[in-house]
Amino acid sequence: MSGLRSFVVRRLLLGGAQTVAVVLLVFALTEALPGDAAVALAGDQPDPARIAAIREAMHLDRPAHERLLGWAAGLAHGDFGTSLTSGRPVTTYIEDGFGPTLLLATTTVTLLIPLGVGLGVLAARHEGRLVDRLVSSVTLGVYAVPEFALGVLLVTVFALRLGWLPPTAVGYGTDLLGHPAALVLPVLVLLSRPVCSLSRLVRAGMVDALNSPYVAQARRYGIPGARVRYGHALPNAVAPAAQQLARTVDWLLCGVIVVEALFVIPGLGTVLMNAVAERDVPVVQGLAVVFGVLTVVLNLGADLVAHRFAPRAGVAA
Amino acid sequence: MNAPVNASTDSPVAEIENLRVEIDGWPLVDGVCLRVFPGRVTALVGASGSGKTTTGLALLGEHPPGARVSGDVRVSGGGPIGYVPQHPAAVLNPARRVGALLHDIARQQVRDLPRAVRRTEARTRVLRSLADAQLSAGETLLHRYPHQLSGGQQQRVVLAQALLLGARVVVADEPTTGQDALTKSRIVDELTAVAAQGIAVVLLSHDLDVVRALADEVLVMYEGRVVESGPTERVWRAPRHVWTRELLARQTEFGNRDGNDGDSDDRTGVPVLHVRDLTARHHRTQVLRVPELGLHAGECLAVVGRSGSGKTTLARCLAGLHRDHDGQVTLDGNVLPRSLRARDRRQLAAVQYVFQDARAAFDEYRPVVDQVARTAVRLRGAEAADAGAEALAALLELGLTEEQAHRLPGRLSGGELQRAALARALLARPRVLICDEITSGLDTVTRRGLLEVLAGLRRGRDDLSVVLITHDLDIASLADRIAVLDAGEMVEQGSVARVLTEPSHPFTKRLLAAAG
Repeated sequence: MSGLRSFVVRRLLLGGAQTVAVVLLVFALTEALPGDAAVALAGDQPDPARIAAIREAMHLDRPAHERLLGWAAGLAHGDFGTSLTSGRPVTTYIEDGFGPTLLLATTTVTLLIPLGVGLGVLAARHEGRLVDRLVSSVTLGVYAVPEFALGVLLVTVFALRLGWLPPTAVGYGTDLLGHPAALVLPVLVLLSRPVCSLSRLVRAGMVDALNSPYVAQARRYGIPGARVRYGHALPNAVAPAAQQLARTVDWLLCGVIVVEALFVIPGLGTVLMNAVAERDVPVVQGLAVVFGVLTVVLNLGADLVAHRFAPRAGVAA
Repeated sequence: MNAPVNASTDSPVAEIENLRVEIDGWPLVDGVCLRVFPGRVTALVGASGSGKTTTGLALLGEHPPGARVSGDVRVSGGGPIGYVPQHPAAVLNPARRVGALLHDIARQQVRDLPRAVRRTEARTRVLRSLADAQLSAGETLLHRYPHQLSGGQQQRVVLAQALLLGARVVVADEPTTGQDALTKSRIVDELTAVAAQGIAVVLLSHDLDVVRALADEVLVMYEGRVVESGPTERVWRAPRHVWTRELLARQTEFGNRDGNDGDSDDRTGVPVLHVRDLTARHHRTQVLRVPELGLHAGECLAVVGRSGSGKTTLARCLAGLHRDHDGQVTLDGNVLPRSLRARDRRQLAAVQYVFQDARAAFDEYRPVVDQVARTAVRLRGAEAADAGAEALAALLELGLTEEQAHRLPGRLSGGELQRAALARALLARPRVLICDEITSGLDTVTRRGLLEVLAGLRRGRDDLSVVLITHDLDIASLADRIAVLDAGEMVEQGSVARVLTEPSHPFTKRLLAAAG
C-alpha cells in the first residue's frame, strides 16, 4: 500500500502545481485581452478621464504582478478577493453559480451511468448483430451532433412547437429544483454526448471481457449469464469507463457554458462568461482555482478506481 | 465430489469417436478416438501443435472459432467437466480477487439450503476445495488478485475450481509445465488423489516423466492423429511407432546430458554484480532475504527454488523492477539505484531481463525486428538504420530467418519469440543477462533448442554473465554456480558439481530427490 500512498501524495503535489499554472495562465490571458474592468464599467461612451479615475479607484493602475501577488496572498487565507464590478466577495459568486451547476451535473450523472453502462452492455451482448449495430450507429450519430445544435432542435420541437416544456429557465433564478420541467431539456442535451462515449467504451471493454478465457471458464462452470456479465465481465470494463466518467463530471461541474447560455441557467458557466465580459479578473481567477482543484481531484479519483479494477497495471505516475 | 466410484472400467465416463476438427480445410485433429474411465488417468502426449489441446477442449464441447467439427463427443450423464489450462492465469479474472469465481460456483451449489446456513456452507466448500488442491493458507489467498499469486498457486486455484464443481472428468493441459521438481511431484500426488476419488483425469502433456508416473493409458499424438495408444508401461517398454520412439529418445538424451566442468566454486576478483544484505518486501511482508551473492564476469548463475520462493523477486530487484527492498546491489563496484527510473542509460543497458512470457513482452502490432532494434536506439543511442541491421543480424544469429524477423509477434511460435526476446536484450550489449524461466511452457524439443542458443551465446561472449532463474534442475545444471532459494531465504550456494552431488542443506536434498 505504501506505493499507492506515495502515488496519491505525488499526484496531489503535482495537481497543486498544475492549479497554480492554470491560475497564472488565466491571469496572463485576461491581461492580454484588450480593455479592462474600467473600460467595461465606463459603458458606451468611454471618456478617457473617467476611465482613468475608475482605474485609480479600483487600483487597476498598479502593476500586474502586484495585483496578482495581493490576490494570491488573500487566497492563502481562504480569501478569494472581491469582484471588481460589484464589490461583492468572489465566494458569493461561486456559491450562487455552484447550486444550479451541481444540480444539473448530479441529475445528468445519475441518469448517465445506468444509461451508458446499460447501452454498452446491451450492444456487447449482441456484438455484430442488429441490436449492436443499431446502438452503435445511433450513439455515433448523436455523438457527432454539437450541444448547441441539439439544444436548439429540442427547444424548437418540445418548447416552441409542442409547448410541452419551458424553453429556458428565465425567471426561475437559482431555484431550479422547484421547476423540474425547466431541467428536462438541458439535462437531455448534457446527456447526449456523454452517454454515447461512455456506452462505446463500456461496449469495447465488455466485448473483450466476454471473449476472454476467464469468462469462458465462468460459463463453462455453470455461472448464470447475468452474473457472468455483471460480476465477471463488467469489472474489466470499469477502468476505462471511470476515466471517461471523470472527464465528463469535470466538464459538467466546470460550467457547461453553451448549455447554460442556451437555456439561461445561472450556473458557473454563466458566472464565468459575465466575469470575462466585464474583465472581472478576481472572479475569473477564483473560478480557475475551483475548476483546477476539481479537475485534479476527479482525475485522481478515476485513477484510484482504475487501479482497483485493473490492479495489474499498477499505479502509473 | 460424492460421485459413486464406478468400479467397472467397461463404461467410459466420456468418449470421443472419430473426431475431426478442421479450419479452412486444414485438419487440426483427424480420426481421434478417446475413451476415459472413472478413476483412471489418460494421457495425450506429443509435441506442441500435435492436437492435444484441441482434443482436450473437444471433451468440454469447445472448439476453436470457425472450426468444422465432425465425429462424436459423449459424456455419460452430461456431468460437468473441469478444465485446468496450460496458462492458469488466463482463466483467472484480472479485475477480481481469486475467490470470486469459487464463491459463485459454491453459491450455485447451496441454493437449496436454508438461507441462514448458505453463507457458511459455501465458505466451507470453497476452503475444502482449496485444501483438496493443496493450497496452504487458502483463506488469505482468496483475497488476493491473480497477479499476486505465483504460477503454481494460480494453477492450484484453477484446479480447486474443478474440484469444487464436482467434475467427473478433469482435463489438465500441461499441468506440470513451469513447475519446480517438488511441486511437480505434488501435482502428481494431487492428480493421483483426484483419480482415486473416481474422477477421470485427462492429462495433456509433453512432460514424459510426469506422464509415466501418472497415466494408466497413453495416446501418442503426431500432427493431429493418434499414432499409438496403450497402457503406459507397454508404450514405454516397447514403443511401436517411430515418432513415439523419437519422443522417448529425446527425453532420455536430455536427462542424461552432462559435460560441465564445475571447477568454479571459489572465484576470486571483483564480481560484476554483487548483492549484499538484500531484503525485499511485498507490501509489508518480507518475501526475500539474500545476505550475499556475487556474479563474476562470464559466469552463469542458476537461481533455483520452488514457485513462490522468491526467485523472480530476486531477479526483479537486480533489474530495478522491484524497488521495495533494502540492501545494496552493485555493478562493477558502483551502487545501482533501486528503481529502474533512477538508473541511467548505461546502467539500464548493463542489466537486461528476458521474461518468462515472451508473447506478453512484445507489442503485437509491430514487426519483431523493429522492436528488437529499439533497444540499440534507446539504450545505446544507435542510428535507426544501424540498429535495424544489427537487430536483423542478432536474430539471424539466434536462428530466426529474415522472413520471420519481419513478421508480427503473433505469427511466431513461443520458442521463436523467446529467441527474439534474447536478441532484444543482447542488443543493449548487457553485462548481465537475467533469464527468468525462459524455457518453461516450451516443449522438450523447443526447449533444448533454446538452451543450445543460450550456451552458444555464452561461448561467443566471454564477459557476458547470466542469471538463470529456473525451477528445473536439468536446466540449472547448465550453469557454473547454483543458488538455492526456499521460502524467500537463500539456503545454499556453490558450484553446480558440488550442489548437485553433495547438497548441504536439507531443502536442496529434498529438491534433488524429487527431481531424481
